[in-house]
Amino acid sequence: MRRNARALITIALIITICAGIIGFQNISIGAFNRGGDTPLGLSLGLDLQGGSHLVYEANLVDPTTGEKQEISKDQMQSLSHTIERRINSSGLGEPIIQILGEDRLLVQLPGIRDPGRAKALIGETARLEFRHRTLNAPPQPIESVKPENIKSIGIDELREDGKLISELDSKDKDDQSQALTSFPAVIVEFDETGLENFEDLFYELALSLEKAAEAVAAGDYSSPADQINISIEGTEELRFSTLANSIRRIEDTPRFGIALPSDETGMEGVLTVENAEKKLGNNPEIKFAVKKGYLDEDIGLSGDDLKTAYAGQHQASGLPIVNIEFDDRGTRIFGELTTDIFAKQEETGIRDQIAIVLDGEELIAPTVNQPITAGIAVIEGADFTMTRVKDLALLLESGRLPVPIELIQERDVDAILGADSLRKSVIAGFIGLALVLIFMTLYYRVPGLVASIALVIYSVIVLAVFKIIPVTLTLSGVAAAILSIGMAVDANILIFERMKDELRGGRTMLSAINIGFNRAWPAIRDSNVSTFITCGILYWFSDQLGATIVQGFAVTLVIGVGISMFSAIVVSRTLMRVVALSPLSRKTNLFIPTGAKNIANREST
Amino acid sequence: MDFVGKRFWFFIISSLVIAPGIVFLILAPGLNPGIDFTGGSSMTLRFSEESNIEQEQVRDQLIDLNYPEATVQNLGDNSFFIRTKELNEEAKDALVTNITYSLDEGAENVLQGFDLVSPIVAQETVMNALWAIIAAAVGIFFYIWWAFRNVPSPLRYGLAAIVALIHDTIIVIGIFAILGELMDMEVNTMFLIALLTVIGYSVNDTIVVFDKIRENVLIYSNREFPEIVNLSISETLGRSLNTSFTLLITLIALVLFGGATIREFLYVLLIGVAAGTYSSIAIASQVLVSWDQKSIAIPFRNKTVS
Repeated sequence: MRRNARALITIALIITICAGIIGFQNISIGAFNRGGDTPLGLSLGLDLQGGSHLVYEANLVDPTTGEKQEISKDQMQSLSHTIERRINSSGLGEPIIQILGEDRLLVQLPGIRDPGRAKALIGETARLEFRHRTLNAPPQPIESVKPENIKSIGIDELREDGKLISELDSKDKDDQSQALTSFPAVIVEFDETGLENFEDLFYELALSLEKAAEAVAAGDYSSPADQINISIEGTEELRFSTLANSIRRIEDTPRFGIALPSDETGMEGVLTVENAEKKLGNNPEIKFAVKKGYLDEDIGLSGDDLKTAYAGQHQASGLPIVNIEFDDRGTRIFGELTTDIFAKQEETGIRDQIAIVLDGEELIAPTVNQPITAGIAVIEGADFTMTRVKDLALLLESGRLPVPIELIQERDVDAILGADSLRKSVIAGFIGLALVLIFMTLYYRVPGLVASIALVIYSVIVLAVFKIIPVTLTLSGVAAAILSIGMAVDANILIFERMKDELRGGRTMLSAINIGFNRAWPAIRDSNVSTFITCGILYWFSDQLGATIVQGFAVTLVIGVGISMFSAIVVSRTLMRVVALSPLSRKTNLFIPTGAKNIANREST
Repeated sequence: MDFVGKRFWFFIISSLVIAPGIVFLILAPGLNPGIDFTGGSSMTLRFSEESNIEQEQVRDQLIDLNYPEATVQNLGDNSFFIRTKELNEEAKDALVTNITYSLDEGAENVLQGFDLVSPIVAQETVMNALWAIIAAAVGIFFYIWWAFRNVPSPLRYGLAAIVALIHDTIIVIGIFAILGELMDMEVNTMFLIALLTVIGYSVNDTIVVFDKIRENVLIYSNREFPEIVNLSISETLGRSLNTSFTLLITLIALVLFGGATIREFLYVLLIGVAAGTYSSIAIASQVLVSWDQKSIAIPFRNKTVS
């Protein structure tokens, strides 16, 4: 009895956990996230659930003439293969990729779990480049804003919302609710051309600052923002440099205010409006220069020179890393690059970077720890996760698409098998299952009822396991699940038929149950082991041959059959033992199938 | 009941079921590959805003227009993405006009895009899946050979199980070749999955019957082999019928109440489950007996042992 109690508690515990897993739509413990807005939070394939419908157009433009070029069938094929490889190795689910017409590609992805990541992975990539990122770039004078574009230069108190204190109207002045700070600033008035060009310059600075701020927020302090250098020749010289955040457009006027440096920066040190005005004098001349936060230089190293890239873990620390290997040409250029950067580092302490740029978009910009001349390198990052390094490796590995593509359509799409049709099928499935349970209970009586309960428990466990792993359920998965349910039912039926034989032989209930289970075991074991073998071979073969449908089938079937064995051997058996020890067990005919009524009667007489 | 004595008739029945299928497979184009494998045409239809059309209505229309293979996906916004077999200009125009007329009369500019599409699944996949199945069959053969090592001639059990597996596979494929010819049914990825399921079921069912034979051979070592097989079949008959009955209940419920999109898939399973149950008793076990007796019990000529 104690053994039964322990088994019962274990089963109850498993059911509770599994029910919890299914019951909560979303489960997240630290980095572990499961669930979503699908039924029960399971992950479903495109045939069962809708997803994103993305149409790309291949754009091959002749670099010299600028004309659109013809795209060959082979190019489209290889484009489709590259994208398929990227998606398949990313765990985003099984995509449907079809070439549409001559130069377009349809990509359907199941679910809308992470459309941003999906699009980033597919990319619109023309080219993967490695660039030398210099951090101490010299300032470049701005030629677009000439002295004749500047109408006046003055000094005034500038408020942070872009208003001049001297020009505030009475309403603004009285408005004490906004406790806005103000600071002395150089006020420059432009003509039309000057204003336009300075505005462009300002936006560029702001963009760079925003990017740098984002990088800093992500823990990357290595790519500083662009600075603007201002030098004014007046009675005295006034020079300082500043970031976009201390420049304001003065509302509705062709003027910009640039805040003077504050005391703490220890710059030129002229800070009050009066002092500054004195320095300016009557006829000041202003010049602007931009000091880029960093400067990327093309060194002729591209994705073509990369042999492979793959995700891995650091040998010592176990942290996720990206391994990259170059071919001969790549090894040479990469070797020179890292040697140069390292030498500069030793000499000046400035840590230049290698910017890895995918179609103009920076992927990552690692620094250099040592000269790498063997062509094998490792990229580490404090914020690297396994997903991130896998994506990075994929993007590096598949380097560039054979032709650049452009996203021309993006929509949500419904399941291939049709949401309406599937809804019916799910209901029909429940009807079928209910009929099976009713049949088993009517035919096998108490054992049938026990088996029905075991079957429900089985279903709960299977769903929970599918959700946790997670297994992406497609129709092939559902087919495998139906087959494994069939096998679970079969195992129970086998056991009851054997039990019936033993009861017929006049054994006590408990020993009939035990012997029934033991006799049925070889058949259950052999049929399930052969299923395991089948699945193993199917999985391995289809992995080699790239038949993903077969693979999904094999995975789901293994899980289903494994759990069905547990359900038949542990769950049914324990429940049956408990029933056998209850007063119910004295009514033998409750345990003998309808078909065996005569035998039962004969025995009782 | 004497199962063993009727083995000649079992073999005849199976041959009669298999033969036409094989004829169709060889003579006719055989299995028609579906649009999953061949590619075809795709189009986006956009109906008027107040039309409120359901995916199912579009699909029903396509079936009426004799495009049962078409897949329809709702793109939202009254738009549908449709894949069909390859259409020429005329067929496309007729299709669009007909659907528009039936579902959303008077709507304009319904056709939003029309293209040829490449296959979703490479044709090689079918061949690859076949290789995987053959490899799996070899694995099953070796396992059964090993699992039955305690009874005389265990090798026969392995081979007989494979014969039953091939039997079931050929029945399913053959029937589909006939249906393909007569009813325009096509082999798609769903068919492939259903076939895998049937194979899994077939092996499972055969092993259960064989297990009983294994047990009885060891218990009744003084009895004749055909007699033991017959006894084993009788003893497992209840279980075999009940197991396949429960599966059939589920499948029939799905056919009757379920959606139209997976019906073809269910037919394959229905045929396969019936064949799988039948073959364990009538083929696998009978192959064992025939091999043991060196006779297939042709009536009126050789008397069988009884």
